[in-house]
Amino acid sequence: MDFATLASQLFIGLSRGMIFFIVSAGLTLIFGVLRITNFAHGSLYMLGAFIAYSISIFFGQGPNGFWLALLVAPIAVMLISLVIERGLLRFIYNQEHLMQMLLTYSLVLIAGDLVKIIWGTEFKSMNIPTILRGSFNLWGASLPSYNAFLLIVGPIVALGLWLFLSRTHLGKICRATATDREMVDILGIDSTRVFALVFAMGGWLAGLGGALIAPTTTISMGMDANIIIYAFLIVVIGGLGNVWGALISSIIMGVGEALGILFIPGVAIIIPYVIAGVLLIIKPSGLLKSAW
Amino acid sequence: MVSMVGKIRSRSSNLIKIGSMLLIIALLVTGCGNSSTTTADKKTIKVGIVDTYTGGAAVYAKDSLDGFKLAVKEIAAKGGPTIEFVTRDDEFKPDKSTSWAKELVMKENVDFLAGTTNSAASLAVSQFAKENKVPFIDWGGMSDKVTGAAGHRYVFSTLPNTAIIGKAGAVQLSKTPYKKIWLAGSDYEYGHSVISNLWSNLTALEPDVNKMGETWWRVGETDFTPYINAIRSAKPDVLVVGTGGADMVAFMKALKATGLAQEIPVWAHTSYDPATLRPLGDQAPENVLGTNPYLSNYPDTAENKAFVEAFKKEYNREPAAFALYGYMGGEFLGQAIKKAGSTDKEKIIDAMEGLVIDTPVGKATLRKEDHQVAIPMTYGVIAKVDGKIAATDLHTLSPEEIMPSIDEIQKLRAKQ
Repeated sequence: MDFATLASQLFIGLSRGMIFFIVSAGLTLIFGVLRITNFAHGSLYMLGAFIAYSISIFFGQGPNGFWLALLVAPIAVMLISLVIERGLLRFIYNQEHLMQMLLTYSLVLIAGDLVKIIWGTEFKSMNIPTILRGSFNLWGASLPSYNAFLLIVGPIVALGLWLFLSRTHLGKICRATATDREMVDILGIDSTRVFALVFAMGGWLAGLGGALIAPTTTISMGMDANIIIYAFLIVVIGGLGNVWGALISSIIMGVGEALGILFIPGVAIIIPYVIAGVLLIIKPSGLLKSAW
Repeated sequence: MVSMVGKIRSRSSNLIKIGSMLLIIALLVTGCGNSSTTTADKKTIKVGIVDTYTGGAAVYAKDSLDGFKLAVKEIAAKGGPTIEFVTRDDEFKPDKSTSWAKELVMKENVDFLAGTTNSAASLAVSQFAKENKVPFIDWGGMSDKVTGAAGHRYVFSTLPNTAIIGKAGAVQLSKTPYKKIWLAGSDYEYGHSVISNLWSNLTALEPDVNKMGETWWRVGETDFTPYINAIRSAKPDVLVVGTGGADMVAFMKALKATGLAQEIPVWAHTSYDPATLRPLGDQAPENVLGTNPYLSNYPDTAENKAFVEAFKKEYNREPAAFALYGYMGGEFLGQAIKKAGSTDKEKIIDAMEGLVIDTPVGKATLRKEDHQVAIPMTYGVIAKVDGKIAATDLHTLSPEEIMPSIDEIQKLRAKQ
């Protein structure tokens, strides 16, 4: 084991964590503010990937298609989320959590079938633009360019979220709603509007995650179920509803998994669960303060 | 989650509410299983197909179903026996497969069961078939246990299983100079079974091969770079991979993106299958070895051309391997009914044992002893030909070279 391998594995683990963060940040925001366990979050991520694929195909798999897909697919998913929130979710905010789970779970089934009807069952693949192909060397460690790109996008998203939540009026209302919804209502702010905004933002993040992962993998049905397990683990470890907790646990998960693959490849598959188990034993309430 | 319990005031009524909701959902879901029954005629044989029509594996189930439908149509057109069928979606869940199998046998009165892309589902339905004496044609699950250790009178397989795939891969690799081998794959039945069969056959053919290490990833892994990076640092002569479906495409893509295949040759079953190469386009890696039971342009024979033509005419796409498996399932059944001259299940089973039919890949035999289909297998390597990525250096292995011997099967079954 040389230093270069270890370093490049660390980089790759970090970039893996960035995708986890972008998806789970959306989930945890919705958790924190709406108090809804949104099973359909993985479906929104899958939709993001499929929409990105369609946009890319429309532009002949060229570089323009990729950048446009990165811009448009998350917005499209955001609009879908807005329709879901205004059309369905807002009627069940006062229901029990189980009802909300049933509703979001039914959305998972519907989205799965919709994707099959629209895009068919065949495996799909989207090209990485030429500029982000191949690898480059960083102090002797080789890192695929696309992973480096993810390492740039992830922190930008985190910074954007931080600026929004702590520096804008709207962001402050979001945080206030997460802490005490009744108080926000008493102050004369329509909290369901805040809910719509946050759900749409969560959808945008899921769509962005899907669009970012699309060029590196197979775009297929079943993507939703694969990400949602990670996203839930990360959200629970980080502290329900805490975006920074999600960031920290995403990085722990990504790097932990990458190192596990390097040192104990035969059993690497259990590492996320071992990490989750250990962290929850040490801090059952999550790494950072839960919004619940 | 914790507050959830506290908020439920009258628990029992809520449970009833939720229970009824679940029931409604379950009923809605069952509605998805489309059926195509015609009037019940006692002289027709009815096949109940349980397969995965939603999720990542749906592409295979769709192909095998279309292949089967084509066979049924052709048999009827030739004045042969009429075969009816109904389908049920198991969503890749073995427990659902068995409950659908029960439903099909008890409510739909099917004579035969078929399908199951999920290997665990194949084994579960096979067990049900054995207990209830309903013959089951597996054209989706590749587990070697189906017609191997767990085989019995009521189960047939019309696709090459992991024992055959592993043996074919071992024969191909034994023709290469590679000695230091890294094994990797998806952490489920298919991945482990292909790799362990390949490894045991390869060590028998070439005792001086050396296993450097193993890597297993979860099914549905989206990012292969950490795995590839770790394997690259170990510098094996060849990387042998047991993965399938959507993971195969993602893995091949990562091979190209990381440039691993330029440094280390890779072997994977179905690496040059159109289902893998087509979505990859110019992003497919070269220098990847592999085996494949069927290609629409290989073997280049009149029979295969006719099959491709008929399939294209019916479904407007080229048939892939699973289309052939479903097609063979239908053909074996149709010809067995004809041969038996009866619609009695036991007589049809007798007729199916050892039955030889003409298929797009040549003669196919349903072996009498283990009910496993014997067809040839191709092997080759992915390379650029005239600027296009394709399978090259294709060779055919005869069934005799790749089938596990009857002795082996009998030993396995005796152990059970």
